[in-house]
Amino acid sequence: MPILETQNLSYVYGENTPFRVQALKDVNISIEKGELVGVIGHTGSGKSTLMQHLDGLVKPTSGKVLLEGEDINASKAATRAARFKVGLCFQYPEYQLFESTVYRDIAFGPHNMGLSMEEVDERVRRAADYLEIRDAWMEKSPFDLSGGEKRRVAIAGVLAMEPEILILDEPTAGLDPRGRAQIASLIEKYRVSTGSTVMIVSHSMDDIAESATRVIVMDNGTVALSGTVDEVFREVQTLAQHGLDVPQITRVFLDLRARGVQVRTDIYTEKQARRELVGLLRKEGVLQ
Amino acid sequence: MIRDITIGQYFPGNSPIHKLDPRAKLVLTFVYIVSIFFCKNFAALAISVAYLVFAVLLSRISLKLLAKSLKPIVIIVLLTSVLQIFYNDDGTVLFQRGWFEITTGGLVMAAFTTVRIIALVLASSLLTYTTSPTLLTDAIERLFSPLKKIKINVHSIAMMMTIALRFIPLLIDEVDKIMSAQKARGAELDTGSLLKRGQALVPVFIPLFVNAFTRAYDLAFAMECRCYRGGEGRTRLRVMKFCARDYVAFGVTIVCLAGIAVSNYFLTALI
Repeated sequence: MPILETQNLSYVYGENTPFRVQALKDVNISIEKGELVGVIGHTGSGKSTLMQHLDGLVKPTSGKVLLEGEDINASKAATRAARFKVGLCFQYPEYQLFESTVYRDIAFGPHNMGLSMEEVDERVRRAADYLEIRDAWMEKSPFDLSGGEKRRVAIAGVLAMEPEILILDEPTAGLDPRGRAQIASLIEKYRVSTGSTVMIVSHSMDDIAESATRVIVMDNGTVALSGTVDEVFREVQTLAQHGLDVPQITRVFLDLRARGVQVRTDIYTEKQARRELVGLLRKEGVLQ
Repeated sequence: MIRDITIGQYFPGNSPIHKLDPRAKLVLTFVYIVSIFFCKNFAALAISVAYLVFAVLLSRISLKLLAKSLKPIVIIVLLTSVLQIFYNDDGTVLFQRGWFEITTGGLVMAAFTTVRIIALVLASSLLTYTTSPTLLTDAIERLFSPLKKIKINVHSIAMMMTIALRFIPLLIDEVDKIMSAQKARGAELDTGSLLKRGQALVPVFIPLFVNAFTRAYDLAFAMECRCYRGGEGRTRLRVMKFCARDYVAFGVTIVCLAGIAVSNYFLTALI
């Protein structure tokens, strides 16, 4: 049984007003335990709205969200339970920091769950550990940290709830390349060591290609494509129709191919690219 | 939802009402609102309503949108008109049961109050729907510029109003976002006792204020970078100048006011 699934999920903003927008149309997705799902789509494709549905923050106009087979909107208690099982980290989460110290901010989520002091403390330490938040920061005000540090504290605040499914909306947006790489590797480390399910929303194809086990492409409120990294990024034409591009590195290989160089075009990460290029250069006798 | 608020919103358009000089619009709206309260009988009220309907039709603002601006005042209108029916016992009694009676006077008063409140709100909505906030504050600045003589910094006040108006939709959006983010962390914002709800707002308002201050600083820097130093010697991209359209508007309004005055003078006053 999938851990999280949606059935004919539809959502309309501003029904009965001149600004009516159908944000989601008949969305059916299902997420298995332990997956790392990348959700991509350009601005306004409905990906953020979909994520808010998965956390029970928005009630669907029609259709259902099932968490372990149970409708999360069946009752208030079910919705609240779902908020703890599904951890949603919004875009630019550093703007939600509010406590006087980093420690207390990370503890906000677990505290709301009604856990004992010891349990809260343990979870805060564990979450801080995953995001490599130094002990020295714990008693600092979160407003005194740098942008990248704030981001990590904010993500730790969601991680500390130890959700079964972690959803991150553009977790690396607005960070420098080093910050991006760091956040991406910390998240991957967390996923591998806890075996939890992770969904990452992004419009950076490169981030997604690096780590996702499955990719969902959203466009115009519907699921346009869904499959493994290979299955999705192979569809260069279809992606272009939905206003998306393949990862930059794939673009390089597609262009090489177009110029008559005999390379594979199913290259999505730097590692694959290196292997392919080294192989090619050996074959040509450039490299020994 | 919180973002459904339309008060103070501007809907760009190209109608004669949109094109009126904002100073003229501001003054005329004010005069009109005052005039509604001088209507003493149905003929005067009808002239006043006809004037408003004419302006609405000219503005080509959808009626649905205007109706939406009335939503927040439905309760006030209902309450005041019901109170009028209850407490006014002029005129003939139409219906009586115990202490409760409905009189013609009560009904007339209720009708007048309802029409007046609705006309008041529609007129001011029409002003904000058809005038961009920048033009509106510009107009305020121009109209109040004589106050400079008594050392009131009209320009700063107008600039603050412009910025405040510009920030309202941003802040509304932000409250929405922060509330969702804290709810995702298990905050309960809409249950529990009043005290609990008050406390629950702390995680929403602290980030909101912090962000608002950051934005204010950024904006101040951006303005300084563009050499903003107050109103002294500042010229304008669009110089406001009355044209034929504005004089026609004034003319129509004067005719309407004369109509109201004549009805008040020659017909019996109902209130």
